[in-house]
Amino acid sequence: MSLTVLLVEDDRELRTTLRESLRVEGYVVVAAASLADAHALLANTDVDIVLLDLGLPDGDGETLLTTLRRGRSTPVIVISARETDDPKIRLLDAGADDFLVKPFSLGELLARMRVALRHRGTPLQAAITHYRQGDLRVDLRAHRVRLADEDVHLTPTEFKLLARLVRNAGQVVTHRQLLADVWGAEFTEHTHYLRLYMGQLRTKLEVDPADPQRLLTEPGVGYRLVEGED
Amino acid sequence: MTPTDATPPAPTPSRWPGALVWTLAGLAMGVLYPVLDLANLAMLLVLASALAALWLTPAMCLAACALAVLVFNFAFVPPRFTFSVALHQHALLLSTMLSVSWIVALLMARQRRLAEAERLLAQRARQLQDFGATLRDSDDPRLRASDLQAALASLVGAPVALLLREGTDAGTRLGKAGSDGWEGLGMSLRHSQAMGPGTGRHEDQPDWYLPMRGRQAALGAALLPLTNQPEPTPELRAHAQALCDQMGLALERAHATHAATSAREQAHAHALRNTLLAAISHDYRTPLATILGAASSLHDQADRLSAGQRQRLAATIIDEAGQLGRITDNTLQLARLDTPGLALHLDWESVEELVGTVLRRARQRQPDRAVKARLQAGLPLLRVDAVLLVQLLDNLVDNALKYGGESAPVEIAATLESNQIRLAVRDRGPGIAPAWRERVFDAFQRGDPGDNRAQPADAPARRGAGVGLAVCRTIARAHGGELTLRMRQRGGCSFECTLPVNPAQAGAPEALA
Repeated sequence: MSLTVLLVEDDRELRTTLRESLRVEGYVVVAAASLADAHALLANTDVDIVLLDLGLPDGDGETLLTTLRRGRSTPVIVISARETDDPKIRLLDAGADDFLVKPFSLGELLARMRVALRHRGTPLQAAITHYRQGDLRVDLRAHRVRLADEDVHLTPTEFKLLARLVRNAGQVVTHRQLLADVWGAEFTEHTHYLRLYMGQLRTKLEVDPADPQRLLTEPGVGYRLVEGED
Repeated sequence: MTPTDATPPAPTPSRWPGALVWTLAGLAMGVLYPVLDLANLAMLLVLASALAALWLTPAMCLAACALAVLVFNFAFVPPRFTFSVALHQHALLLSTMLSVSWIVALLMARQRRLAEAERLLAQRARQLQDFGATLRDSDDPRLRASDLQAALASLVGAPVALLLREGTDAGTRLGKAGSDGWEGLGMSLRHSQAMGPGTGRHEDQPDWYLPMRGRQAALGAALLPLTNQPEPTPELRAHAQALCDQMGLALERAHATHAATSAREQAHAHALRNTLLAAISHDYRTPLATILGAASSLHDQADRLSAGQRQRLAATIIDEAGQLGRITDNTLQLARLDTPGLALHLDWESVEELVGTVLRRARQRQPDRAVKARLQAGLPLLRVDAVLLVQLLDNLVDNALKYGGESAPVEIAATLESNQIRLAVRDRGPGIAPAWRERVFDAFQRGDPGDNRAQPADAPARRGAGVGLAVCRTIARAHGGELTLRMRQRGGCSFECTLPVNPAQAGAPEALA
């Protein structure tokens, strides 16, 4: 059974191109040119994933996300025109799964979609407890991190930070989400905590902390742990 | 009563101490009559009169003195309990007493009047000074018009109406006035002349119309009703006029500043438009031509091309589109950073992360080229806009990869100096001719073909730097830093961005547990 993509994009050319490419990849694509269209389609269609362009003629999509999140965990990927886009970060903070900045390649889009679909329904299913990437193994249940078959000692905060990223492996986690989940809601402005602990984590988990291959930075947005291997 | 009092009418001094003085003096004289002789008793009366003059009005003093002398005569001067005067000495005593008391009372009154005038003067000077300060501190003197209105109203004791010029025609009205009133204000404003009693113009009017004069023309006018001022003095008008003129000058200054700002903004917008036009004509056409060429070839000749050729054409389109994307980002960023009053998204950022992001992007773009990072240990966090800093370093790296030769890896180095961080992007390329070393930072300048920076042979590789270094320098400066170019000793360029570090600001978590 093929998966259904709701593509919300007001530019006709981009909409057509993406629809074609996604169909070739085997997705069923329903397209909307405005938030109103998207709302109507959502009410009548079973959608597996939403690609939401910001800067639509009738709003920035926050209401759509709220509607979607009401009882469902349909993944949402935000497509933004600028790297610094306040609505984009707001939507991510509010629970959108990931983002892409225009222009993007089909490869990037498909990779983001694949990760988002894999995380689909995590609130209902068993939480991710294992992560494997190269010679790094993380077992959240056992509180165990191994690198090249050796135990890595992490402080409790470092471990909490890594665990938060592991639960969304492959997806961006915003500064605000990390700070709120690891330190607490009153620390959401203390980005310098994040910088320092990420630095420590990289020193322990990366070959060259200045050239990270696992703990990636999304400037101005948050962090992304590269997708794990199954 | 303090000099800061903005309201000029002094509170009426209480009169009762005067009455008390007289009463006490009367009692004292009654008590002392058996002990003292008449001349000494009379001294008490003179003393009482002088003291009472401190509180009583001149008329009251005169009346009180006269009454006191009569009572004194009646009660103490023999024959007692009659108004007749027995001896010549007593008549002289009584008349001297009366004269001295009166002179004292009049002198006192004059002194008080002078002091009052002095106080009023000081108060008005203070008011002018305060209002002047208020106007200076205010960005828009219009917002202070209500202050002027209140000050003038307290001067004349009646509500005041104001008319302020809006651009070229009379515009804003404050307060209430009849249609005659507004007309009079308009006239006063147009002619920059005061009207009303004492001004020599429209003397019959019951109100003053005072213009708010600037250096060139009036910028407003005030209507001061004189209903509560039976005899308006020239001093009062002069003071009111001075207040109005202060407002006029402030308004004129604000107009001039506004005009200068909008002229500057216009010039700025003009320059920006030229920059953008230059960007489009200069940097966009070549990649667009390449994309169009490759795409039309794929479109028109698809069946005659080999799979390899099709693949190469598609790759060209992707590369050139990416290039176009970079130029667009840079051009837009330059335009955005040029906007006056732009707010950066500042946050605490680690140099390691910024560099890591740039390394990853460079590798994604050109996996076959080496870029290395050399970071000093223990660099403090920087308070910067991460997206902009990444763009800066990414442009420099892209530039170095394009022009810096392929013999040696491009290197990103970060070092901490006393109060700044130096981020350098270095290559081992042919360097840049001295004539071009500053000009590369101007938008749409590139090393010309034929200089030693880039050989005509690799002309296609020189594209796209036009706006790149200009935006890099703009980003550095927006962070209070600088971007400079240094030639390396054994060949190659080092583009060096210095950013200020404020140790007091560098946030560190309390506990690294």
